[in-house]
Amino acid sequence: MSDQDFATHDPAAWRDGFRTGLPTLFGIGAWGVVVGVAMIKSGLSIPQALGMTLLVFAGSAQLAALPLIAANAPIWVIFVTALVINLRFVIFSVLLAPHFASLPWHKRLGLGFVSGDISVALYLQRYPDPEPAPGKVSFLKGLLYPNCAAWQIGSIIGIFLGNAVPTEWGLGFAGTLAIVCILVPMVASMPALCGVLVAAAVSVLAADLPYKLGLLAAVVVGMVTAMVVEETGDRRRAKRKENGEANHV
Amino acid sequence: MSDLEIWIVIVSLAIATALTRSGFWLVGHKVTIPPRVQEMLRYAPSCALAAIIAPDLLLDGGGTVQFDLGNARLIAGIASVAWFAWRRRMLETIIVGMLFFTALRLLPGLLHSYS
Repeated sequence: MSDQDFATHDPAAWRDGFRTGLPTLFGIGAWGVVVGVAMIKSGLSIPQALGMTLLVFAGSAQLAALPLIAANAPIWVIFVTALVINLRFVIFSVLLAPHFASLPWHKRLGLGFVSGDISVALYLQRYPDPEPAPGKVSFLKGLLYPNCAAWQIGSIIGIFLGNAVPTEWGLGFAGTLAIVCILVPMVASMPALCGVLVAAAVSVLAADLPYKLGLLAAVVVGMVTAMVVEETGDRRRAKRKENGEANHV
Repeated sequence: MSDLEIWIVIVSLAIATALTRSGFWLVGHKVTIPPRVQEMLRYAPSCALAAIIAPDLLLDGGGTVQFDLGNARLIAGIASVAWFAWRRRMLETIIVGMLFFTALRLLPGLLHSYS
């Protein structure tokens, strides 16, 4: 297939991506509202908060930066914190980049910048293999652009609502629930389930580590666990097969 | 922080996001990842999602693990896992989970405080 076919706009695939991501947009928007409210409550002016949501577009990094800004932390500390929180996107981009290696660099830069957690997970569920396929780019855009729009609209609403939304409504919980829904189908295999449970436990136990390093530790330990479980299972199956054949002889 | 300093922070956050999100998209085709690492990375998205939500479900405002019926988020989270496993509808699941969470939150005297 030529690169032309691969990158040509495919309205059906775009709509397919949009439909796949649609149910998550509510949770993303609600999450955006929470971050918007949090920015105003932590003392940013409206232009600063708008600038932050439009330029940064990374909710967890924004939320982590706010107390550091309020505490007058050195700028390099805030920068390092944001890098560490976003390190999981390096892993995501290792998975996603081979799918789109043939696109021009500015498109890769743009698509990479708007790829959020949920969109990446949904995309990889649909296209696990990096071979170019027609409609792939459009499917990804159908996931990413509405996701980004929902986030920005939610954030801007949050910024202007400011102090009007009571914290105890727990609006941010909607974002957690959206992730729960994506996670459930992903843990259909024993290795994935073990990895997820271990990652969850590590993230809770290591929640106090500086720069949100606990998140990174959780991903690494979870991944290794899943791999070990997978290989143990493979070996056991191979052994059983061997024994089965021996019995036949 | 002064207005200028806050803008510097905002720009540095944007750079940190661009480096981590887009960096590999730009140079990735020049790097070869060993197959074993690639296999392991298949489990990264699910582990990352779990690591993002687990503290929200299990820790209270003071950073203590709350593993009991007084934890509204945990109970609502479990209810949503069950609902999603049954119905496979995401929007329904979010609404049910939020209703659960809000109902539990409004029950007086039962819950831990989250601030």
